[in-house]
Amino acid sequence: MRLFLWWLRRAVSAVATLAGVSILVFLALRAMPGGFAETILGPFASAEQQRELAERYGLDDSAFVQYWRWLQAAIGGDFGTSMISREPVASELGARLPVTGQLAVMAVLTALFIGVPLGVLTALRARPDGGGALGRLVSGLGVSLPEFVLGSIVVFVFSRYALGLSVGGYVPFADDPAGNLTAMILPAAVLSVFAISATARTTRDAVLNVLVEPYVTAAVARGESPAFIIRHHILRNAATPVVVLLSTITAYLLGGAIIVEYLFNLPGIGSYVVQAVGRRDYAVVQAGVLLAATVFIALNVIADLVVGLIDPRLGVTAEGRSM
Amino acid sequence: MSGARPGDVSGDGTSGGGAPATYPSTSEERRGVRMRIAHLTGWLRRLDWLSRCGLFCLLVLVLAALGSMVNLGGDPAEIAGGRLQPPGPDHWLGTDNLGRSLLPRLLEGIGVTLLLSSIAVLVTAVLSTALGIVAGYLGGMVNNLVMRVVELLYAFPSIVLAILVAAVVGPGRPAAMAAIVLVTIPLMTRLVRTASTSVAQRDYVTSAVVSGVRLPRILIRHVLPNVAGTIAVQGTYALSVGILVEGGLSFLGFGVQPPQASLGVLIQEGGVYMVAAPWLIITPGVVLILAILSINVVGDGLRDRLEPRETRSLR
Amino acid sequence: MTPLMEADDLAVDYQAPGRRVRALDGVDLTVARGETVGIVGESGSGKSTLGSAIGRLLSQNAQLSHGALTIDGESLFDLSAVQMRRVRREKLGFVFQDPIGSLDPTKRVGAQLRLALRGRGASLDVTGQLERVRLADPRRIARAYPHQLSGGMAQRVAIAMAMATEPELLVADEPTAALDSQVRDDVSTMIFALAAEAGTSILWLSHDLAAVGRRCGRVAVMYGGRVVEDGPASEVLARPAHPYTHALANSAPASAAPGERLQPVPGRPPVLTGPSPGCAFADRCGFAIERCRSERPRPVRIKAQSVLCHRAEELAGSAALAVHGVGSAVATTPPVPLGGDRS
Repeated sequence: MRLFLWWLRRAVSAVATLAGVSILVFLALRAMPGGFAETILGPFASAEQQRELAERYGLDDSAFVQYWRWLQAAIGGDFGTSMISREPVASELGARLPVTGQLAVMAVLTALFIGVPLGVLTALRARPDGGGALGRLVSGLGVSLPEFVLGSIVVFVFSRYALGLSVGGYVPFADDPAGNLTAMILPAAVLSVFAISATARTTRDAVLNVLVEPYVTAAVARGESPAFIIRHHILRNAATPVVVLLSTITAYLLGGAIIVEYLFNLPGIGSYVVQAVGRRDYAVVQAGVLLAATVFIALNVIADLVVGLIDPRLGVTAEGRSM
Repeated sequence: MSGARPGDVSGDGTSGGGAPATYPSTSEERRGVRMRIAHLTGWLRRLDWLSRCGLFCLLVLVLAALGSMVNLGGDPAEIAGGRLQPPGPDHWLGTDNLGRSLLPRLLEGIGVTLLLSSIAVLVTAVLSTALGIVAGYLGGMVNNLVMRVVELLYAFPSIVLAILVAAVVGPGRPAAMAAIVLVTIPLMTRLVRTASTSVAQRDYVTSAVVSGVRLPRILIRHVLPNVAGTIAVQGTYALSVGILVEGGLSFLGFGVQPPQASLGVLIQEGGVYMVAAPWLIITPGVVLILAILSINVVGDGLRDRLEPRETRSLR
Repeated sequence: MTPLMEADDLAVDYQAPGRRVRALDGVDLTVARGETVGIVGESGSGKSTLGSAIGRLLSQNAQLSHGALTIDGESLFDLSAVQMRRVRREKLGFVFQDPIGSLDPTKRVGAQLRLALRGRGASLDVTGQLERVRLADPRRIARAYPHQLSGGMAQRVAIAMAMATEPELLVADEPTAALDSQVRDDVSTMIFALAAEAGTSILWLSHDLAAVGRRCGRVAVMYGGRVVEDGPASEVLARPAHPYTHALANSAPASAAPGERLQPVPGRPPVLTGPSPGCAFADRCGFAIERCRSERPRPVRIKAQSVLCHRAEELAGSAALAVHGVGSAVATTPPVPLGGDRS
């Protein structure tokens, strides 16, 4: 019951945040320089044209009515049409989603399988006397390598020297699995450098926190081996912050692989949105941002679900955790 | 503890013996400043070598930025030589596609990036501190309201939020600054709030409330000093995020606009001529990485100092 | 015959950045088979460090400065990790202060009890083990998560884990401090009963002199990282031979006669940064003389007790160390310094 109430509250808060996000995005669109009419018609349109447009789109209605109309359309999957391609934004985004999705999944899986063990190992080797500075340097380096620097260098190296992996030349996985992978490995690798380091750092922190818990001391006192304690007592207890981080990273990659997609010329959502900003194609920007935020919120809720499965105390200490 | 907290032992140089105990006199104020300096050097001494290296790197970068203001290394806009020349005695870091020398451009870029990010983070720090302390101390409705807004901003992946800002404000420095502020506010506000909540429950705050001290004074005299550590640590991390956001946004062409240089702009320009002139991207790239790394390392060091943690082995 | 546990001039330091704290400053203590020993001291006296040292459970910033600690003749600090694990499994049992924290929050009680019993010859009958620690409705408790238990229940589970293997020495670090006063007695009684049944020696760490005195055969009082008085419980309680024990006995609520004012031990326990030059209690002691500050006291025998005090013999002859409410006819006046300078 308590858990159910917790879930209810969580769901309500997610919906509320989503509503807030939609309002923010809607207002952002209205606040565009020049306003909607100028955006559509260009700065040199006559007053007549502008009035006609305002009538057609109901721009003279109150902001609330406009928002409501826009929201209804958006919930129905209608995000308007791209002013550049004249295609419905929803279908264009849909076509690009698999690319971004594949990229995110590849990077997150890498982070999971490399970052988590790395974090556990470095936590177990941590010393109180500030040794481990070298480890801190390496992990710090990982989160300090911006994608646009690392990506640029990778693009340079691999386009200059034939090293077997191609830059660009994306083909859908269904058409040519091998070709798809050779095109995707590099961008996924660039993305995963940050993901691995962030995962390793969070895992290390979480494990260090669990290591000093009394139940770990109790297990050591019972004469359990390190491997046993890690497997039975540490991994699950340290998992919560890691799960939350992985969901954040996934969301970030799904909405924000922008720079890598742009650099590697991948037809994903990110590069689409960047182009759209450059061309002032606001319907696209709006839909892309809304999509990213929605994915983020949804993944957060999923992470909470998973955390609920991991830690039975959830619902009891929910108040402390939810903020 | 011997000597580890220099504030405790710096009473030796106090001028005059008869300073009244209750109200700060000028000599006591002076002593306060001296103690604060002693405190600072004590902090430095207690940071480990890695954090000290980080601080040193930052110092060098700041000096470089200051140097750019007096056109150290030349005028960044001047066409100084041939195009795309490799580093050499005339142009230590080579020249770009227009024949501008990279060194002054790099210095200018460091200055622009650092200044822009610092101002933005300062704004974040002030806003976050105010919001976080008030929300954490008062709790209730105020807390709910502030946290809702913060959660709203948090729902946007950082670069997406930055791009949205650029789309609304239009590309340029204001966009970059606004983006940094909006990206860094949520986390900092959250953490300041959490810290304030726990401070608000301590005895000395309760006793201040009971003895009728007014709210602003409680917040400034009692709560603020106790969350200052959190603000310092989060401030350093926010600065590295700020540099990252400025770089990313300028790289995509929505931040600082050429011909003005920023590290992001230089990397973007360098990327175009990467094959012919790799130094154009490598140098600013390395500087950017170094800046972010130094800040993160200093932040880690600060955090380890503020929250020293026990470790244990499983053996 | 070798004693079950022996600490010989054991000194342990904690190293923090720019700072070193001495937690144990030369502890001498033995525990014989089947004996129940209470270690009494304020927080900071080093008793918990001693308890952790026995299982080699010290945190990583702790360093053995000198001395030795042996279990059954094996020197703990010379053992390999594997050997140490064997000693822990076969000879030692631990019960800690925080009962709920000592259990893994993500595992059901039954599951973690089974994990703890696996592969060490103990009965795998979880319900039976829970019944042994007198938990009503063991089946329901086996299905519960630790946070759903009360402190008393959780401590019984922890005791079941520690005692299932019938260890030779049970180290109990303030095991009832976090419990309600009503369950406190039940839990203590149960631990001593289980230990007596299994022939387990007990090392009971506590700050409550009177409670320890009631249950343990022997009491060792710790102060400033040393055992300052060690002897039969009844003797130490009734006729303390060390000024600190005396102060402690007088500060315990149980020892006060109705209407009598409790005397807290004045001052705070010391934080040592290295070996204490003299007696660590000198600054708080009403009987301290110059020698107490400059020369480390060596153990002297006063009747059945072994005492670390330069003036023990002298004080034993006077009535200065009588305990209120026990020998109250003798000394109702506060102890008067017998000389020595207190600046």
